[in-house]
Amino acid sequence: MSSNSKNISLEEKLIKNLNSKLGVPINFQKERRLWTSIDSDKIVDICTKAYEMGFEHLSTISVTDWLEEGKHELVYHLWSYSYKLLLTIKTKIDRKNPNISSINSIWGANAETCERECHELFGVKFEGNPNLTPLFLEDWEGPPPFLKDFNWREYVKEEMYDQNNPREEVYFEVKK
Amino acid sequence: MTEINEQEIAGDFSMYFGPAHPGSGNFSIKVEMRGERVLKATADPGYLHRGFEKLMEYREPMQNAVLSDRVCVLEPLQWNLVHAEAVDYLMDYEVPERAKYIRVILAELSRIQSHFIWYAAMSLGTGFMTGFNIAIGYRDYILDVLNLITGGRVYPAGYICPGGVRKDLPEKAENKILELLPKIEYMRKFALKQNPAWLARFKEIGTLTKEEAIKFGAVGPILRGCGVESDVRRDDPYEIYDELEFDVPVMDEGDAYARFTVGMQEIEESMKIITQSIDRLPKGEVKTPNLKPIVQFQKAEGEIYIRNELSRGEGAFYMVATGQKTPYRVKIRGPSFTHMIPILEHLLTDVAYADVPAIYWSMYQCPADVDR
Repeated sequence: MSSNSKNISLEEKLIKNLNSKLGVPINFQKERRLWTSIDSDKIVDICTKAYEMGFEHLSTISVTDWLEEGKHELVYHLWSYSYKLLLTIKTKIDRKNPNISSINSIWGANAETCERECHELFGVKFEGNPNLTPLFLEDWEGPPPFLKDFNWREYVKEEMYDQNNPREEVYFEVKK
Repeated sequence: MTEINEQEIAGDFSMYFGPAHPGSGNFSIKVEMRGERVLKATADPGYLHRGFEKLMEYREPMQNAVLSDRVCVLEPLQWNLVHAEAVDYLMDYEVPERAKYIRVILAELSRIQSHFIWYAAMSLGTGFMTGFNIAIGYRDYILDVLNLITGGRVYPAGYICPGGVRKDLPEKAENKILELLPKIEYMRKFALKQNPAWLARFKEIGTLTKEEAIKFGAVGPILRGCGVESDVRRDDPYEIYDELEFDVPVMDEGDAYARFTVGMQEIEESMKIITQSIDRLPKGEVKTPNLKPIVQFQKAEGEIYIRNELSRGEGAFYMVATGQKTPYRVKIRGPSFTHMIPILEHLLTDVAYADVPAIYWSMYQCPADVDR
């Protein structure tokens, strides 16, 4: 327990430090997990500052599609080898106009690859990323497949099966 | 690195390494060649994209536990564990102590058999068939024990599930695991010492510096082979790893040989973890009481980023729950994603074509967790 309480007090100090250096409120989720929510135009600035403070490992970039809200939430997970903490930076962008600056100036090809995935699966455009070619889906012409309003079950039925073909009728009888 | 002499150009051409290459896995690299030298390599993933992240949005946690095996064929139990931990946190489950120990024992056994496959694939790729045969043979001893415990040799079908593990250890399983250890140790020594000529093939090729490794997002044995002492089991402990004693092997060279040696040294640490866990294995339940995941997941709201140390390094699940039967969003971070795309492309710049297989397999690839 003593090491736990020691960790927590260290984290409190770090939260204060991060608050002042990054200039954004930092929240505590659980042990070794901190998060913050920022405006999308600040992303490069905040990530640069976080990198300089010791959050050197870009674990991954994720997108959550909040359909009802009309927003895409981009989530950047940064790990610090020195503090042994995970900082999650979240930012929301408009779903109809999903543009955000690339962070390839900090993490180079690593960030570019993560962004390629987000671009392919969610259609998010990363300004400044020269290589947004698809990673997984060859010759895909449909909408970004991981969007919440893309129903892949319907898409597969329409594109791949023929209702008039007696051998494929069964696919149209399956419940949704 | 020798300069390319313009006057000696034999011809520029590009070709594919994989996906039909034996052992390359479902993955290929497009290499642009000038004579015998590779000028540039471009990774071409996507042969194994199954859309797990989207599939999991349509399935309930217990179904997803079974699905999580398939993220990587070579280390399914560890992926089971990452998924189970993410759901445990969101559902606020108290996992019984015995289940935690069983989870750790199985995760470490899975790590060892995966490291054997690494040795096997490296041998196969560089023309040392004996190494391949013996490693796959010794891996089978471990698979027999996994079969006894989980009911599946390779895929445990969600044995490590939210709330604990599906079933308690069968009778005498502890003894069977302990009987494995001398065999594992024999295989480990064989891999590290038996064939110095083959091992020398990996020295001073595919060298990655410490700074590059961190910038490109290297994890696991690849990162530790570059001199960074980082292990999720120690830095961000989960289950019971903070109570166990084990070392984190590190080497400074950063070449293919260093990465492989770190991996083989890890097997020894995994054996220490298994021995300690079996010694301390408590009695009791192996599942959270009143486990009703479908009902309980509908009360779960929030999100979590769970990191685990898999065989290949940091693997993670980002899960968002919004009080529905199924998770709202799942993001899987596979360790090979950074190893196989940015790092491999970086390492395969201006190298001899003969070195490509050695560098390729030293990255401990798993195309399945690149594509997901």
